[in-house]
Amino acid sequence: MIAIVDYGMGNVRSLRNALEYLGAEVVLTADPTELAAADRIVLPGVGAFGDAMAAIRARGLAARLGDLALRAAKPVLGICLGMQLYARRSEEHGEHEGLGWLDAEIVRLEVPPPLKVPHVGWNDLRFAADDWLFRGIRAGESNFYFVHSFHMRCNDPADLVATTDYGGPVTAVVRRGRLVAAQFHPEKSQDNGLTFLRNWLEHDFGPDAGV
Amino acid sequence: MLKKRIIPKFLIRGGRLVKAVRFHENFREAGNPVSTAKVYDAYGVDELLFVDIDATPQGRPAAGSVIERVSEEVFMPFTVGGGIRTVDEIAALLASGADKVGITTAAVEDPGFVRRAASRFGDQCIVVGIDYTLDEQGVPRVVTHCGTRRTGLDALEWAQRMQDEHAGEIMLCSIDRDGTMSGYDLELISRASARLGVPLIASSGAGTLQHCREALEAGASAITISSMFLFSDHSPIKVRTYLATNGVRVRSQQGSFS
Repeated sequence: MIAIVDYGMGNVRSLRNALEYLGAEVVLTADPTELAAADRIVLPGVGAFGDAMAAIRARGLAARLGDLALRAAKPVLGICLGMQLYARRSEEHGEHEGLGWLDAEIVRLEVPPPLKVPHVGWNDLRFAADDWLFRGIRAGESNFYFVHSFHMRCNDPADLVATTDYGGPVTAVVRRGRLVAAQFHPEKSQDNGLTFLRNWLEHDFGPDAGV
Repeated sequence: MLKKRIIPKFLIRGGRLVKAVRFHENFREAGNPVSTAKVYDAYGVDELLFVDIDATPQGRPAAGSVIERVSEEVFMPFTVGGGIRTVDEIAALLASGADKVGITTAAVEDPGFVRRAASRFGDQCIVVGIDYTLDEQGVPRVVTHCGTRRTGLDALEWAQRMQDEHAGEIMLCSIDRDGTMSGYDLELISRASARLGVPLIASSGAGTLQHCREALEAGASAITISSMFLFSDHSPIKVRTYLATNGVRVRSQQGSFS
């Protein structure tokens, strides 16, 4: 069972449709017991960082999700703003504290003209050819759909799995242990996105530590 | 590198696809939106745009039911516009599967709405549509209410103002060229893209492959295409191949389920 964290931020219908298309059983929930019972958790998100953290805290989920992700080592996939929430802090509309699962910050995209912000559209990724997350995705055709104005700056290069180029390298995928996250929208990235999600669903993370 | 985007534009009336000339002349029926979306997904187009053209005249937000069905069938980004006036309406459309919403008339009536929507959903979620027609002096002037109400606003100044209000993208739509397949308004596209820091979507006028190339080379980040796909033999694959051959960066990959 895959639990999508339902905290009122994001286009979860498309995500659910994509996971179910791939054969997953999906529950949309903010209930701590259901989250703990799920095999894996997806943390979606569209909107502003501060609002998202407030919505997570309002549901009493910040510490709970931290327990599940870090202590129980339950596999978690963060998407777009969901990925950004892994960071320690964000400078989007003022300073906001994040979940702090990764040693990273969220900063505004600064790009030289004629590049535009937000970074909207299909951009290709740079990743290690043998990485399991990208099995079946060819390096020359590795386009994914991005739509964002802020990006993640990782302080530990070991967390960085894939980047895209937009006036310089932009963090596209991060991973630490069983925490995985993508800046792009796999559920909106057609074949490549479905392949990425399938790779994550099928990866054997081993049993989690429980809570 | 970021790719230029090809975006089929779907006008919806009564749950069906339609297409007109200059917004109101020669309405033609053009099929079922859900099955057409699926075909375009298979072609690997980059985004879809749905505009519910009865929504503003009827004083209601864009129909979410079509959108829900689309989101079950395609795994690609899409924008929905038509009659959107409140943040709750935006939230409902996003919950139906839309990634972005298009705001046109409501932005003119209440410019603060764009800022409020952007602060709730993020700038990247808000596409401000600017429908315009050239006045006697050749100045582009904003028109609202699905092409029926002139405002006197200068379209370029308005685009700047909307960027300042945190629009994530600006979509310029020339009413004079809509459905005529006579080419995009390259002059305004080039002036607007030089001035704006947000991506520009060029809409209205595509009739030939050359038109598509010209609009993207003039600085548009994306182009919408409607009549040309519906009523000519130019498919998205043909457009993309032509653009790639002529040095425009576009995606080579196919769509879902390929």
